[in-house]
Amino acid sequence: MSSLFDRENVDVAWCHGCGNLGILKLIKEILEELEVDKKTSVIVSGIGQAAKTPYYIDTNMFGVLHGRALPVATAIKLGNPNLCVVAEGGDGDMYGEGGNHFIHTIRRNVGIVHIVHNNMVYGLTKGQASPTSPKGFVTKVQVGGVVNEPFNPLAVALSLKAGFVSRVNIGDAKHAKEVLKSAFLHHGYALIDILQPCPTFNKTNTYHWFKENSYVLNDSYDSSDFVGALQKAFEFSPMPLGVIYQDKSNRDIFERSIRGVDAKPLHAMSHDVSKIQDLFNSL
Amino acid sequence: MTIDELKRYNGLNGARAYIAYKSIVYDVTESPLWKNGDHQGTHVAGVDLTSELSNAPHDNEVFEKFAVVGTLEGSEQVLASVQTPKMQEHQRDSYEPFKSKLRTWYKIYHPHPVAVHFPIALHLFSSGMDFLFLMRPKEAYDAGVFYSFFIATVMGFVAMVPGILSWWINYNFVMHRAFVIKLIVAIITLLLGVVAIAIYYENPHAVYEHSLKGILYHVIVLVTGLNVIVLGYFGGKITWGYGKYQTLQEDIKETVSLAKHQNTLSSHSNIQSISILIGGAAGTGIATLEKILSDAFKESGFYIFSTKEYMSRVRGGSNTTLLRISETPLDAPCWEVDISIALDVLALEHMQERWHKNTLVLADESFTEKKNNVVLVAMKESAKKFGSSKYANTYIAGVLFGLLKIEKNSLLQSIAEHFKEDEANKNVADFGYEEGAKLENLTLPNLPKADLEGVKKLHLMDGTTACGFGFLAGGCNMVTSYPMSPSTGVLNFMADMSKHLTIAVEQSEDEIASLHMVLGGWYSGARAMTTTSGGGFALMGEALSLSGMSETPAVIYLAQRPGPATGLPTRSEQGDLNMALYSGHGPFPRVILAPGSLRECIEYGYLAFELADKYQVPVIVLSDQYLADSISMIENVDFSSYEQRRYFVKSSENYVRYEDTETGISPRAIPGFGEGLICAVGDEHDERGQITEDYKMREKMVAKRARKSDALTLEAVAPEVVGEGDIAIIGWGSTRGVILESLQHLSNPRLAHVHFGWVHPLEPQQLKSLERFKYKVVVENNADGAFANQLKLHDIQIDKQILQSNGFNFFVDQLSVMIEKSVKELS
Repeated sequence: MSSLFDRENVDVAWCHGCGNLGILKLIKEILEELEVDKKTSVIVSGIGQAAKTPYYIDTNMFGVLHGRALPVATAIKLGNPNLCVVAEGGDGDMYGEGGNHFIHTIRRNVGIVHIVHNNMVYGLTKGQASPTSPKGFVTKVQVGGVVNEPFNPLAVALSLKAGFVSRVNIGDAKHAKEVLKSAFLHHGYALIDILQPCPTFNKTNTYHWFKENSYVLNDSYDSSDFVGALQKAFEFSPMPLGVIYQDKSNRDIFERSIRGVDAKPLHAMSHDVSKIQDLFNSL
Repeated sequence: MTIDELKRYNGLNGARAYIAYKSIVYDVTESPLWKNGDHQGTHVAGVDLTSELSNAPHDNEVFEKFAVVGTLEGSEQVLASVQTPKMQEHQRDSYEPFKSKLRTWYKIYHPHPVAVHFPIALHLFSSGMDFLFLMRPKEAYDAGVFYSFFIATVMGFVAMVPGILSWWINYNFVMHRAFVIKLIVAIITLLLGVVAIAIYYENPHAVYEHSLKGILYHVIVLVTGLNVIVLGYFGGKITWGYGKYQTLQEDIKETVSLAKHQNTLSSHSNIQSISILIGGAAGTGIATLEKILSDAFKESGFYIFSTKEYMSRVRGGSNTTLLRISETPLDAPCWEVDISIALDVLALEHMQERWHKNTLVLADESFTEKKNNVVLVAMKESAKKFGSSKYANTYIAGVLFGLLKIEKNSLLQSIAEHFKEDEANKNVADFGYEEGAKLENLTLPNLPKADLEGVKKLHLMDGTTACGFGFLAGGCNMVTSYPMSPSTGVLNFMADMSKHLTIAVEQSEDEIASLHMVLGGWYSGARAMTTTSGGGFALMGEALSLSGMSETPAVIYLAQRPGPATGLPTRSEQGDLNMALYSGHGPFPRVILAPGSLRECIEYGYLAFELADKYQVPVIVLSDQYLADSISMIENVDFSSYEQRRYFVKSSENYVRYEDTETGISPRAIPGFGEGLICAVGDEHDERGQITEDYKMREKMVAKRARKSDALTLEAVAPEVVGEGDIAIIGWGSTRGVILESLQHLSNPRLAHVHFGWVHPLEPQQLKSLERFKYKVVVENNADGAFANQLKLHDIQIDKQILQSNGFNFFVDQLSVMIEKSVKELS
């Protein structure tokens, strides 16, 4: 099926059966359904297999360095709050190399959608452990199996009072789409951790494994209950899927706090020289 | 670029054609109106046209379409010491404010050119009619002659009034040939007109007669026709100049003695100055004292320079502030001091090595015993008398003024200004003043002559503030930084300015985020910068590289402090040049600017944004603790001359971000502005911004990025050369003032100062100017001689290096000795 957001003449670099393919399709569908204007939306990505996604979506993009999508996305939103900004990358990109930015972007409550492809392994560098790899996962580097505690993005995000915290499994595309859509519609920072298999380098966490080890939160779950959400964030087998927490209280968002509510894009503004002159003359 | 540099770009023999207007140099090579560097036969390229523009038939909007290639140094640089008496007289003109208003009005309505065409046309018409009349004396011709002549004469008077006004307001009644001729011819024309009208009025038939009156009438009508041609000719000369190479404006400039760039080293030996060193622990109010004294000395008409050295701690330790006052502008510190004020015992010890045999030391009676040069004052006790030991500072300020016998009002005013809430301070200072005046039998340095008028026109500020104003002039509207001494001052300044101007300021989580945010900012269309010091800049390496690959502009204010690692956090060094040059993996063009004066701080701050935007490269402004924290004076700056240009384009539907162009510069568009999509990338990419590993595309893109250097290098601001000697003392960045004053002290005619503010990329043609020197000595405040090494890479032979890396900046007295020694060894 063709989409408005298909980019022409691209050479998709992912393996057959890769979870990224599903995520790519999902994002294009949502952008189209939400009638997002491709001219005023930007996807910023770091480095990794997941970070290649924006190269295949016909919109503005900035492909930056490993781990650095968030500060770049933050400043783009600050420079022009009218843009729809998405930061996208994998678990190593966002939770490993960019861990510090992850923490502080949540604290800022920047109005961006933060999409993390979580396949619990490093694909681009061919199979090392990622911050989310389960204990005991054997790789060419972690020869005796991973000994570190896996990173818990949901719990970290919640502890920093993220306004929208969610997890989906790309194996359940229909549910994933629903949640990702609400991430786009959330006012403020929205995290969506997407579980996806890497058929080449992660033989443990497969489509089947994800299906067996996760469940969709039912309608009775109250996503506005912070303490309940914190408990859910620590559930592992099986992992809860859906919007774990959403703060609908219209909290202040970063770019509006700094730039004001009706801020014009900075490219359309220049300083009043007479003001600079007055400030200088007052010295 | 200096005026001499500018001359090279005259558009002849294939050279590019540059012109300067209000310190900005424009490239007009491509303009059909500037073919071979010639504009309308009246202006030539390679010169500063600032003063000419007010007389041109167009305004400065014509410059908008030209590319800015640099700034003109010295064009507005007015050091009080180089002003001629005539110029000072000009500036003291009490009508000046009124004249200035009139000039603005004149510029809008230009009444003289409006009025002057009527008498010219009518007189010529009248003469023409008279020819016809003389051939066929018809009544209609007679009437035509008279009526047109009558109105011509009246209009002649009408045109003369604004003409004389313009002569006054625009040319200061300069007695130039053109003006004198015009005036005389105009008066003659007017008088002749009155005579002819009188003849006709008395007897209209006289014009038909061969009588004396009749003949005179016709002669006058014909002669006035010639007169207006002469008037028009010289009017044209005033507006359009005398010819290709010598314009009238330049001529006038000579006459009214506009500021000229100083290019000779004047001897400094007979100039009076006093140096005062104040020492005390952090938190003892040493900074307050510096502020009070600076303002008071300025108010008293002294030129001021002050600098500080402090320990990396918030309280305690022993810090000093050096204040120099002089009768001419100053821009350098000295090691030995004339007066030393100790605010605590530790300071007394700390300052000791900076005393010469006549240094007057002021200390509290409880600190030490009475010694030869130590004057004990009851600092603590007097302060307590007024109720608190905190008054010790104001008391000592009073003592100092009393001692130096400087009129006390300026001090009291400064104190009143500073302590609005606590008026007791004024009384304490007053008391101190009387105590100070009582001190006798002291060897005091001579008080410099006050220059109230000269000083009043100057602004007092530190390098941090000046850089900040430069960045504002450059249109900076986003600052993302992680605090780090000594760069934090600029972050604070910009944050403070965000209260008045639209500037988005964010303190980032680390320096990695800082520079990435800067790139995000520019990508979205902001003019973004970050501030940091060496350690923080080290973390920015990868983002710098991303700036290079993605061709996203960036401005980095890098205030150096001694390293490696944490080094000396609050002290100064020029130790990070190599890092600035080589940081970031993979080759890509970059610019490094190192201002050496307040004016350069502003100019380079501005230039940083223009260059980053135009060439889509990272620009590093290299400062240091000394430059950032030193306070000196700067003449007024006209910020309207720093035009903020935006180089991004509106994208079309098929826009590609990395279009392979001749210059290597691809038009940069921003998201949401235009119809296209902007794909910026850190991977190697094709023109669209898609990742590629095609080796041909790689070669093409490498070449494209490298090609940007060609034009960028031509933007280089040429080194500033002061002095005629054959031994070059070469410095860069913050050493400008101290080298200059050292050479003035040495007054050795063989020496010349060469200052590089533009540090990278060096322009080979400009470096050729160094060939004229027999010896070259490089002065750097670092241990690795990084800049000398850059010169060596360009095959410049370096004969001596003067290096220092003790955490201090250079001091005039010490550097003079070092230079003298080096020069002796050379010759």
